[in-house]
Amino acid sequence: MGAETLDDELQALVGQPVGRGGPSVAPDPVNQPMIRHWAAAFDDRNPVYVDPAAAASSRFGGIVAPPLMLQTWTMPTPTLAGIAGRGGSPVEQDGDTALSVLDRAGYVGTLATNSEFEIVRYLRLGDVVSATTVFASISEEKQTRMGRGRFVTWVTTYTVEPDEVVGRQTFRILKFAPGGTSP
Amino acid sequence: MTRPTSAGPAVGDRLPTLTIPVTATLIAAGAIATRDFMPVHHDRDYAAEQGAPDIFMNILSDTGYCSRFLTDWAGPDAMVTRLAIRLGVPVFPGDTLVYTGEVAACSVQGDEDVVEVAFRAATDLGDHVTGTATLTLPRPR
Repeated sequence: MGAETLDDELQALVGQPVGRGGPSVAPDPVNQPMIRHWAAAFDDRNPVYVDPAAAASSRFGGIVAPPLMLQTWTMPTPTLAGIAGRGGSPVEQDGDTALSVLDRAGYVGTLATNSEFEIVRYLRLGDVVSATTVFASISEEKQTRMGRGRFVTWVTTYTVEPDEVVGRQTFRILKFAPGGTSP
Repeated sequence: MTRPTSAGPAVGDRLPTLTIPVTATLIAAGAIATRDFMPVHHDRDYAAEQGAPDIFMNILSDTGYCSRFLTDWAGPDAMVTRLAIRLGVPVFPGDTLVYTGEVAACSVQGDEDVVEVAFRAATDLGDHVTGTATLTLPRPR
């Protein structure tokens, strides 16, 4: 495959969904047990997450979910059997994903580099979150300390039914050819 | 309308340092609480097969600790409206992860203070996370 063809193929992905099957819908509404579990894991004592009285007298007027828990709600329920055989992927994948184009081109390594969140509003108990992720950009090949690679950026828009945007996430990874070999 | 803050947070204010003695339990607990079941965050044998010396902290835990670091300082009425992090060295059990930060900018918008914080979380190996965040705080009446 010529470089120009690969670049064309990659640029065609921009604006396209990452993954398949439409938006990821949270398997459960925003709920107190998962918030309590999260707050305990990070020893976060902020009372607006777990104390109804304190939350009621705060600016939020009631219990809210931790803002950076946004991504957690739409994480897929895992299938643990066979997880190692799937390269550590917690979900069973049905064939090709858009990132497979990069793997096939030799950029088999993956390194996350940036995560950025914009929080429009805090989530409340009962909110059902959906996430839609699209490719925002795929860079030209660059020489990095990991080897030759391309930076892939995608943007996830989080909504609460029916279509209220509650937050956005920009996530960037480096897909690279390990060992500095050219793909 | 934006004008300089006359009270409340000020540029240069340092946030209280957050020191986290990292254990395998803490890494696994953070991964599962964020519904991240990638084995490199809970299975040491699997992590070793992938070339890592041990399990390592997941990114959703990083953003979780960032928000705790910010609101431990800013209080329960703070709202985190933006968080941007750049990822550096990984964090393993036995590391001590230290969050430090300071107020980089302040303004008043309507009845809220808007505070920009620049921060980092580092281990002995270097920066694990560097980032900036924006918080809003209701102004005292």
